[in-house]
Amino acid sequence: MTDTDTTHWIATVRYADLARRRRTRVELGDRAVALFLVGDRVFAFDDVCVHKGRSLARGVVWQGRVVCPAHQWAFDPETGRAEGRDECQPVHDVRIVDGVVHVDPRPRSHEEI
Amino acid sequence: MPDLPRSLVTVGAGQAAVAAVRMLRRRGFDGPVTVLSDEPHLPYQRPPLSKDFLTGESGSADLVLLDEAWAAANDVVLRPGSAAAAVAPGEVVLADGSRIDADAVLLATGVRARTLPGLAGERVLHLRTVADATRLRDALPAVERLAVVGGGLIGAEVASSARARGIDVTVLEAGQLPMLGQLGPGMAGFCADLARDHGVDLRCGQEIGSIEETADGVVIRTAAGPVAADLVVVAVGSVPNDELARAAGIATDPVRGGIVVDDACRTSAPGVFAAGDVATRAAGEGYLRIEHVDNATTQGGTVARALLGKPTPPAEAPWFWSDQYDLNLQFVGHAPADAEIVIRGSVTERDFTAFYLADGCVRAAFAVERGGDVPAARRLLALGTPVPREALADDDQDLFDLLDSITA
Repeated sequence: MTDTDTTHWIATVRYADLARRRRTRVELGDRAVALFLVGDRVFAFDDVCVHKGRSLARGVVWQGRVVCPAHQWAFDPETGRAEGRDECQPVHDVRIVDGVVHVDPRPRSHEEI
Repeated sequence: MPDLPRSLVTVGAGQAAVAAVRMLRRRGFDGPVTVLSDEPHLPYQRPPLSKDFLTGESGSADLVLLDEAWAAANDVVLRPGSAAAAVAPGEVVLADGSRIDADAVLLATGVRARTLPGLAGERVLHLRTVADATRLRDALPAVERLAVVGGGLIGAEVASSARARGIDVTVLEAGQLPMLGQLGPGMAGFCADLARDHGVDLRCGQEIGSIEETADGVVIRTAAGPVAADLVVVAVGSVPNDELARAAGIATDPVRGGIVVDDACRTSAPGVFAAGDVATRAAGEGYLRIEHVDNATTQGGTVARALLGKPTPPAEAPWFWSDQYDLNLQFVGHAPADAEIVIRGSVTERDFTAFYLADGCVRAAFAVERGGDVPAARRLLALGTPVPREALADDDQDLFDLLDSITA
């Protein structure tokens, strides 16, 4: 579990806006993060795909996974693991506070997953 | 029910063989697995060979699909540099005369680059293997003018990579437009414009005559005049490596080659499967062979399921992607002749999906920087019923919402 006392949560978009569009790209300092709505939960990934560096944010949620638009790699939203492969897309913790999506700018480490 | 196979040998170590082997181990197949390759390398992928490998952005280490550590941890025997000389149900004979027994054999031998008569020499290269790509990559720094014969995906990607390195490129395409058969006139025209806008001298409808070596390069004779270049890449399609099957009396497509397989990738010989670029399926009155990496991965998985006694998943529409001139292109389905095209997005901004309709039903889609539309496009293809054109063309209409409203 991430130590919430030391997590510097960054406020991004309103949950209601994300719920409408289902996905969006936000910038946390120098790191771009793609937010996706899967069901009614928000998941956050590094926007730059581990495969060939394309932007995940123009992808879609399909069959419960986040699909990168460039080569259709399908990522598990909980772990970032690419389906059928060894690669993992870095994922970030998300908190909804007062209707606003907050994201931990540090990706979750592998021990935490 | 017959016993499931207890061991597997793959003849070939490309995408299809690797996909089969990975899935087998992931799903608990614990029998002996041997992966044979006639190349002296670890199993590797080919898509980067015409793209980032040529530009130097990635190297041979980035190509590896299975390494020794994975093989050791998963009890898979990798045998590079081990060409097969013959196959039969239950065994593979290697070129050195040794034999490997296996309950199941997977022929995943792929294809080789097609050559053109008269187009050969030190300055004429083909592209299929990492050795080919390495030779081409290492030659490019000394090349000012590159001629590419063939305007298909490989030719276009090689041209794109060469342009990225500042090389003058002439592409000679036999058809009236590049990819005309696959994309239809409208979208083939888009691809032609894309190449020209990036400085490629694209010449279509060209009959190639002969090639002559000069003091410092080559001259390709064409009906429309000579083309001078320092180096030529010939990218005019492929020839399936189905010789082992033919020699074994296994059914192949008599017209275009390729090993005939059923839905579960079984060949006409019991216990012998085929998958990937070399495999061909009955389609209409002929056969259809798909030479894209997604098909190899999918068919590898199909072989694994068959070996595990699991049902074959329903076939999906063929899909391919190409990265060229900094654009991501994807295509799913089969474009019918005289298809009606509906554009979603902007062609001028090179950010669109072109839907191909026949009788109002979506039959194919060509996505430019719109791979996010592909999952929905696959479902639209599978509908088999007419889809409202205005909704397809309306960027504010979410395609999944459209699907829900149609299927509700």
